[in-house]
Amino acid sequence: MEVSLMGNSQANVVKTGLPYRDSRVCCSYKNKIDDKVLFVNRVSFLGQNRSANLRKAQLRFCTKASVQSQPLPSDRDSGPLSSARPKSLDAVRLFVGLPLDTVSDANTVNHAKAIAAGLKALKLLGVEGVELPVWWGVAEKEAMGKYNWSGYLAVAEMVEKIGLKLHVSLCFHALKQPKIPLPDWVSQIGESQSSIFYTDQSGQQFKGCLSLAVDDLPVLHGKTPIQVYQEFCESFKSSFKPFMGTTITGISMGLGPDGELRYPSHHRLAKSSKIPGVGEFQCCDRNMLNLLQQHAEANGNPLWGLRGPHDAPSYDESPNSNSFFKDNGGSWESPYGDFFLSWYSSQLISHGNCLLSLASSTFGETGVSIYGKIPLIHSWYKTRSHPSELTAGFYNTAKRDGYAAVAEMFAKNSCKMILPGMDLSDEHQPRESFSSPESLLAQIRTACNKHGVEVSGQNSSVTGAPGGFEQMKKNLFGENVVDLFTYQRMGAYFFSPEHFPSFTKFVRNLNQLELHGDDLPVEEEVTESVHTNANMNIQVQAA
Amino acid sequence: MSTVTIRPLLPSYRRANLNFRDRTNILLKPNYINYSIKSAPNARRFCSFKKLQKITVSSSTSTSTSPATSTDTTPVRPGDVFFKETFPLKRTHAVEGKMFVRLQKGKDEKNWQLSVGCNIPGKWILHWGVSFVGDNGSEWDQPPKKMRPPGSVSIKDYAIETPLKKLAEGDVFDQVNIDFDTRSDIAAINFVLKDEETGAWYQHRGRDFKVPLVDYLQHDGNVIGTKSTFGLWPGALGQLSKMILKADTSQSGIQDSSSESCELKQENKHLEGFYEELPIVKEIIIENTVSVSVRKCPETAKTLLNLETDLTGDVVVHWGVCRDDSKNWEIPAEPYPPETIVFKNKALRTLLQPKEGGKGCSRLFTVDEEFAGFLFVLKLNENTWLKCMENDFYIPLTSSSCLPAESVQEMLIPGKAEEATQEVSQTAYTAGIIKEIRNLVSDFSSDISRKTKSKEAQKSILLEIEKLAAEAYSIFRTTAPTFFEEAAVELEESKPPAKISPGTGTGFEILCQGFNWESHKSGRWYMELKEKATELSSLGFSVIWLPPPTESVSPEGYMPRDLYNLSSRYGNIDELKDVVNKFHDVGMKILGDVVLNHRCAHYQNQNGVWNIFGGRLNWDDRAVVADDPHFQGRGNKSSGDNFHAAPNIDHSQDFVRKDIKEWLCWLRNEIGYDGWRLDFVRGFWGGYVKDYLEATEPYFAVGEYWDSLSYTYGEMDHNQDAHRQRIIDWINAASGTAGAFDVTTKGILHSALDRCEYWRLSDEKGKPPGVVGWWPSRAVTFIENHDTGSTQGHWRFPGGREMQGYAYILTHPGTPSVFYDHIFSHYRQEIEALLSVRKRNKIHCRSRVEIVKAERDVYAAIIDEKVAMKLGPGHYEPPSGSQNWSFVTEGRDYKVWEAA
Repeated sequence: MEVSLMGNSQANVVKTGLPYRDSRVCCSYKNKIDDKVLFVNRVSFLGQNRSANLRKAQLRFCTKASVQSQPLPSDRDSGPLSSARPKSLDAVRLFVGLPLDTVSDANTVNHAKAIAAGLKALKLLGVEGVELPVWWGVAEKEAMGKYNWSGYLAVAEMVEKIGLKLHVSLCFHALKQPKIPLPDWVSQIGESQSSIFYTDQSGQQFKGCLSLAVDDLPVLHGKTPIQVYQEFCESFKSSFKPFMGTTITGISMGLGPDGELRYPSHHRLAKSSKIPGVGEFQCCDRNMLNLLQQHAEANGNPLWGLRGPHDAPSYDESPNSNSFFKDNGGSWESPYGDFFLSWYSSQLISHGNCLLSLASSTFGETGVSIYGKIPLIHSWYKTRSHPSELTAGFYNTAKRDGYAAVAEMFAKNSCKMILPGMDLSDEHQPRESFSSPESLLAQIRTACNKHGVEVSGQNSSVTGAPGGFEQMKKNLFGENVVDLFTYQRMGAYFFSPEHFPSFTKFVRNLNQLELHGDDLPVEEEVTESVHTNANMNIQVQAA
Repeated sequence: MSTVTIRPLLPSYRRANLNFRDRTNILLKPNYINYSIKSAPNARRFCSFKKLQKITVSSSTSTSTSPATSTDTTPVRPGDVFFKETFPLKRTHAVEGKMFVRLQKGKDEKNWQLSVGCNIPGKWILHWGVSFVGDNGSEWDQPPKKMRPPGSVSIKDYAIETPLKKLAEGDVFDQVNIDFDTRSDIAAINFVLKDEETGAWYQHRGRDFKVPLVDYLQHDGNVIGTKSTFGLWPGALGQLSKMILKADTSQSGIQDSSSESCELKQENKHLEGFYEELPIVKEIIIENTVSVSVRKCPETAKTLLNLETDLTGDVVVHWGVCRDDSKNWEIPAEPYPPETIVFKNKALRTLLQPKEGGKGCSRLFTVDEEFAGFLFVLKLNENTWLKCMENDFYIPLTSSSCLPAESVQEMLIPGKAEEATQEVSQTAYTAGIIKEIRNLVSDFSSDISRKTKSKEAQKSILLEIEKLAAEAYSIFRTTAPTFFEEAAVELEESKPPAKISPGTGTGFEILCQGFNWESHKSGRWYMELKEKATELSSLGFSVIWLPPPTESVSPEGYMPRDLYNLSSRYGNIDELKDVVNKFHDVGMKILGDVVLNHRCAHYQNQNGVWNIFGGRLNWDDRAVVADDPHFQGRGNKSSGDNFHAAPNIDHSQDFVRKDIKEWLCWLRNEIGYDGWRLDFVRGFWGGYVKDYLEATEPYFAVGEYWDSLSYTYGEMDHNQDAHRQRIIDWINAASGTAGAFDVTTKGILHSALDRCEYWRLSDEKGKPPGVVGWWPSRAVTFIENHDTGSTQGHWRFPGGREMQGYAYILTHPGTPSVFYDHIFSHYRQEIEALLSVRKRNKIHCRSRVEIVKAERDVYAAIIDEKVAMKLGPGHYEPPSGSQNWSFVTEGRDYKVWEAA
């Protein structure tokens, strides 16, 4: 007797990093009989019917297989059933972000009771885990090298107790709302040494994170920011050792503003305007200019290294308000434009590379997956020059794929990519913004597929984009596999009657896909296997 | 047939889960006699708790939770033993027997005797009471003293308990005889049989036994003497699917005849005797233990495992070994102990050796060191297997893995079912459910019966999720203020104003509170109010709010008891229907004042606490929230604030909500109520209100969410945003299906008018400072009600300022509610004038208000550009620009104009 057992093959394969992504995992019944016997024993108390046991056995088996990471022998007789099987929630691990200020700067857990109740609710809903932002400005607030993890440890314990997984986001940036600053000692350094921050063409600074230009400069009491980040990671690793690989399954490395790999090109957007402007290049701090200068000289065009583009619009202006981004004949297409944009974007990629390789080497042994986040800068995507992406550091235009290099960098560091904006749909974007979140997402996902980078999704809109849940579902069940999905973010709105029911529905919808699965008929053979173990299967029966 | 369930309790090394033990004690609670079938589906909802377990636990909690180490007689040197554990083995054994019920003539025609007996050995108690002629309802009364056999004990004021005993040496039956006089006015004798050892109740078809003594009692199913299927519920909380049912056809002949004969002809009281035997099954717990000790034998590099038990007879160990934690059974290489056979190449079966001279048996097993664990189950006979919490026993064979953590983990899973049932604390309850969900979420069965089951459980989980979310929400929003203003405004605009919704009615409603705190005194309020119907309608009111209609412990009606009994101090049900019809005739809608937060109990529980309900909704203490110690409820934690004078209803219970919905629908259909005024909605989550409103589809509904405004040093704060936010939150929780009384506006009017601080009437954004400023369509504005004013005066509107208050609420958006006392007072003409201004200018709940002045001594506003008004002694005249304003009405410190 041979029967094939298959689970959510694709997802499992992806999860365990097995090489054959699209093949089905099958194995013969004989090979795995022990797993099944064991499991049948375990569930025999439920045994009103056999098919229930079978169902369990199947799932159980899958889990085991994935945990053991065994490449399972493919059996040629047993393929076809699995292909039609819909993906389920098992395939998409759903995470929910904890409040940004979960841990206060006094290292206490804010609204702990609410979080406790929330965690239970999520667990009951079948959510896999939660995402916890861990702030540089909280854990290393007082002095360099003086870490206080107590608040975060408390949260990790709460999460572990509930039986959820934890995805940690290491945040090396500051936040305005709720206010989470950089560490005090960093801000102090910044006061005397403002060149550690990004500066735009009008000389205004962005103090939400350190400029990538100082990555390797010993600006922090003799240490480079990279060293400080590294020590932060090391300290985190040793403090959270008991959770690593068990409760903590993933770590996102903060890569820039809002944790994303980008320049803070849009930080001064005018509130009134509904149409986002193109943003500004952030290359005018002294260190960036130094780098640009060196690069220009190496290229034999020292004059190009004196400053950034002179004809770029400012933050909230449209592409055509100056000549750099003009669809036709804009400077972006000129040799200078290419020179500048190549340099600007490569700086960003090497910054990302630096941090991700740091994270990979630090956390590589812990069994935790490493993630980095890419922004989804979708406005002006339908123009030829993609100005918003360019100012943010992605040299992606109608002529050039700017995300291939990014994906390649992720692949090199075996990191997974977090992509926000899975809730955004084209039809809800203002026409005037020439925006296309869907096409951009598709482009990035294609680049990731090509380089074998796993993608994990997030929603962007805090208050719920119109049609967001539908769009998310579409993105989760489309052609492409999503490693996990992090829903942002727990808080008053999240649990409010306006929102929570639709979230519940969303989660349940994901579930329901499994319920209506076409896996009704496989039962016969396994009934047999239950019989062979019938002696274990004592039914509780009333006289 | 002997079917045996073996359910050893947790092995004692499970120290971690102390909670579980605590909770098992709770199971010891005696069951209640008026447990009803109605609530049984709910019982099942709580994840299959099984009566078997219940009995098990209640009879043996102490033995099962502590390891029995005294059985250690094995010849092992203590130094080498690295694992030693005694597992309790427990199984229930069903003993079948009979009980009889006999009614026979005693000394003479007047004296008769009812006998109840049972032939299963044990301590049997008859728990009984009587119903008197004229009682309707299912309550019991204590029998007259002279009816009580010797040895009877009173249980509260409605029952007595009498032990059964053998009348003579050698009798098969224990029995009790009750003598009674047929001339008494006893209509029936009710009883259940109780097993004192297990605490189980034995009822008749799910109900109390009932022996009618007069013939007009309705046969409602549990009357003895009809052809019947005889069901016994050991354990009043028994799971229905587990109930022991016995078809009893053999005796149908007797019963048929007795069914006629056992009834008393009412006039001549000719009782006819009967004798009925009914099968009865008692579950007996058999407790044993098995001890396992493991040591290494250094000479042979083998592991020696000694297994012994106090079970007698042929005990077979069905065993195998495993190499790792995955516990895959394997058969070790030979040699095996004597009397071992290989079973289907999967396991070994070894007969245990009887111990010398003692009870029980044992055997020594030798296992190679390479194996990590020893797995076994015990087999007594083909049908009787003993396992460890539904799992195989797992004995770790390596000293490093002495605490078989994984096995503990796994054993927890079967344990969860009973854990989940009896939770007291919310947390632990959730924890139980969380375990359950592993099965449910991850592996829904495709099987239909399983599906139904998981659907039920799923539902309960969803409910639990909702509650948790509500809890989280309520905390989050207090720590992080949220403003719904914009959302609310948006909502307003998007809604066509003419649409009728329960939150707003048509939008043009004007309420009249049709009673005060004294209205119950005449005993005929409905009739008195009926006289005023035409008048109230002609004044311009569109909705009348009637007092609470139910039977109530307090005369005013806010301490309801039997919800279906609509005889109150205001009048009886017919008068109620009469007044409702009258108001309908004059074109007004009727709001029923429904008290859903709490309900007074009919009976006390065994601790003397009043938490058992009677009447048509005879809930037990599971309908009562668990977090008010006064009432010892066994429901979930309250989803709101507690009202401490009466048991607060646990709206998270399905059966409660189902019953309440039915009741509300009944009120709608039977009486003709059009909507609700919901009392004390602070007491439970607004989401439940939404549920009720969706089920009853009222024309209009308003909730009373009354809490204090914020004061600093005795002076009311200008900013009452937090206060109105709480009310808005409630409306939100109810998804806007109901409005709420605008307590904020009343409070601010108090200060503004009384202290001449009219600036208070504008918030920082220049809008009305009450709920009406944020969500006008859901604000029911008022200045006084039966609690705040009337003869209670808990928070009376500043005296003499009432008309200013009405000038405000009757010209402003929101739905105004006018208090009865004010209508029928010297204010009547002024109120009438304001009502006609409102109606004439079609001011509605969403009208736009523009505040033009909010100064110390004057407040002025223009509403919908059609009505201008001012409050206070200061000066204001509407602008004489494009519009011409004509004066309409005025009174003390207020004045109203209309656009010409």
